[in-house]
Amino acid sequence: MKLLTSLLRATIPFSLSLALLIPMLDAAEKGPQTVQVSIGTILASNESDNFDPRLSKMKSQLEVIKYRSYRLLREQVQKAPWQSSAAFEIPGGRSLTVIPEGYRNNRLSLKVRLLQGEKPLLDTTVQLRNRGNFLLGGPAHEGGVLILSISATTQ
Amino acid sequence: MKMHCEEVQRSLEAWLDRELNQSEAERVGSHLLECPLCSEDRRQLEHLQDALRNSLEVRASGLAFEPFWSEVRRRILEQKPWHVQFLDWVRFTLYPARLTWAIPVVIVFLLLILSLEQLVPGWGLGPGTSNLAAVESIDGHGLNVAVFRESKTKTTVIWIFQNQEGEDEAADESAPGDNTF
Repeated sequence: MKLLTSLLRATIPFSLSLALLIPMLDAAEKGPQTVQVSIGTILASNESDNFDPRLSKMKSQLEVIKYRSYRLLREQVQKAPWQSSAAFEIPGGRSLTVIPEGYRNNRLSLKVRLLQGEKPLLDTTVQLRNRGNFLLGGPAHEGGVLILSISATTQ
Repeated sequence: MKMHCEEVQRSLEAWLDRELNQSEAERVGSHLLECPLCSEDRRQLEHLQDALRNSLEVRASGLAFEPFWSEVRRRILEQKPWHVQFLDWVRFTLYPARLTWAIPVVIVFLLLILSLEQLVPGWGLGPGTSNLAAVESIDGHGLNVAVFRESKTKTTVIWIFQNQEGEDEAADESAPGDNTF
């Protein structure tokens, strides 16, 4: 009987907590409206041992790719609504388009296309963590290769 | 107000034990001075109490109280081993009345964890927090493409192996032979 009384008493704070949580869960369920896509264009080469200090946060990631020198050429940020493309100019007459396709379980689905002029070099669809990034590299440039750090954040 | 004998006899034991308040005690005392019957009852009761006290004192004198008090002191000062302390804590924590509060608290906590990543992106816990990207589809349009996922730094790399003339040839010479990573 005492346990039952305690249980009944416990339902009051539980109900209050749920009432407070419902608006939060509702906001979470509605999801983000746009995606902020950031592209960092990095030139990797073996011509020197310089490491651009602006890339210090990415150092461990870049060490996966075994070049001696890394230099940040440019950083571009664009906001893109869902299913709309954001286009970025890449050195060497290349361009990159990113289309945010969906968002589920805190992971974004991005459709990425790299072009050399009009010629497509790569089409890929990648799922990455919100605020996460991945690297796209290989295109040759100025005696080295270009590495693109592609990240996306919901807004 | 004068007391009756019946009333005095009811209060007599309490009077002997000094349990009455002052005015009541005075009234019983003055009645006992005046009433021989109640005074006789008082005398008999005192005699009985004396006999009982003497008997108890004789029995108690034969008992050794010191070991008893020593054991009480030892138990008070005794440091319990960790597992006994832990069991005491578990018994205290898992007391049913506390558990009834713990269940909704745990449920609310889990709901908060599951929804917090949606409200505060990148806070570090919850589902979908690994930085490793998953490549769903890839088309290199005739170029060789490699996908590399490095778990230590949670890095996903898509690498295009270009083999073109001009700029690319120069790159091939300077880059580490096979664009390894």
